Amino acid sequence: MLSPSKQFEAIGAPWQIDTAQPLSAEADAAIAARIDDFDRTYSRFRHDSLVSTIARTPGTYRFPPDAPPLFELYRRLYTATQGAMSPLVGHALEELGYDRTYSLQPSAARTRVPQWHEALSWNGNELTTHTPALLDVGAAGKGYLVDLVAEVLREHGVDALTVDASGDILHRGDADLRVALEHPRDTSKAIGVVSIRDQAMCASAPNRRAWAGLHHILDARTGRPTDRIIATWALTATALEADGLATALFFAEPSDLATEFDFQWVRMFSTGRVEYSPDLNGELFVGESGTGGSGT
Amino acid sequence: MLSLSDNKTATVLFAVATLVGTLSACSTPATGTDASTPDTAAPVTSGDYADGTYTETGNYTSPNGAEQVDVTLTLASNVITDVAVVGFGESPNSKQFQGEFIGGIAAEVVGKNIDELSVDKVAGSSLTSGGFNKAVAAIKADALAE
Repeated sequence: MLSPSKQFEAIGAPWQIDTAQPLSAEADAAIAARIDDFDRTYSRFRHDSLVSTIARTPGTYRFPPDAPPLFELYRRLYTATQGAMSPLVGHALEELGYDRTYSLQPSAARTRVPQWHEALSWNGNELTTHTPALLDVGAAGKGYLVDLVAEVLREHGVDALTVDASGDILHRGDADLRVALEHPRDTSKAIGVVSIRDQAMCASAPNRRAWAGLHHILDARTGRPTDRIIATWALTATALEADGLATALFFAEPSDLATEFDFQWVRMFSTGRVEYSPDLNGELFVGESGTGGSGT
Repeated sequence: MLSLSDNKTATVLFAVATLVGTLSACSTPATGTDASTPDTAAPVTSGDYADGTYTETGNYTSPNGAEQVDVTLTLASNVITDVAVVGFGESPNSKQFQGEFIGGIAAEVVGKNIDELSVDKVAGSSLTSGGFNKAVAAIKADALAE
């Protein structure tokens, strides 16, 4: 396992970066600058971000060079989930109370989440909004920032690393990283362990960002939090895709996503039942009454 | 674990046996599980597998009669990197059960204490920031005061 560790808080969650050698002051500063750039563009929690500017005034806005992969993934997942996973849920999240001040007070208003074509046009580097649209890239943004931070470290000569942005993990190195799958109803327990190397693994669950019987994973078609699935995990080459797929697993059948994406997955239903891809590199703690096998 | 420690035939048969086990459990108990007995059982030996793609056909008997599935595994460095299952079930029940396997493996799981596992990381929902936690605490306090 790599050490030493650098720990900090960014975009609303704790981060930890493990590397073989301590990071240089230059690398440290470059990471901080990269995160700040990202936050200034995409955060709906700060007044001076590009996303907040767009929300106030519809129009055409040029995005920085990091935008195409993010918007293209969102577009693919919007299609794959038949509109359930959308970057246009920002306003609905605010109405439910998940806003800049964390009011966590649901308002009576329930505005329909617009469909992509009603609200957005993306031409590869410019976004045009046709209506006031509050973007929320929370379903894939943190994973993407994990990839971008790893890229900064690569530019500083650091290739072996683990970047853990609290549920979104990218690991590169000579040894496997063993990762426990946290039980969403008892965070002292795990339902399984997987091994990753030179890939990303992202988890998603509504158990922590929850308030007043609500949580932060919304079905854009209804504007309401989902309730059928209580935890997901996705493993693939990039944290961007893994993070987005972890959210998509709340809305779409894995077999449908697998026609479009090459990934492994686990998901847990509110009944306690677990489904997982047959090619998972790991072990699930299958109970005595289980009908599926973990092979152990 | 899906990491391999046996030979490829045994592993392929394991996949088929797992499948048939799933199907049997979904079928009526009267069918038993003897249909899952592989007819080409090979001695289990240790050693490395050649990388590549292997296909085996599994046959079993359901209440609807004889059924067949083809299981194709891709191996790389003794790890299954891909699994494809093609079902040939004709009846609605067979199609349903085979489809459930093709979509993924379903199981009941039991939690184990993370403290007792040898792991490097834990992956769950993102921990929340201080601001969010304070807001939740404030709401709880308000609710108690009401």
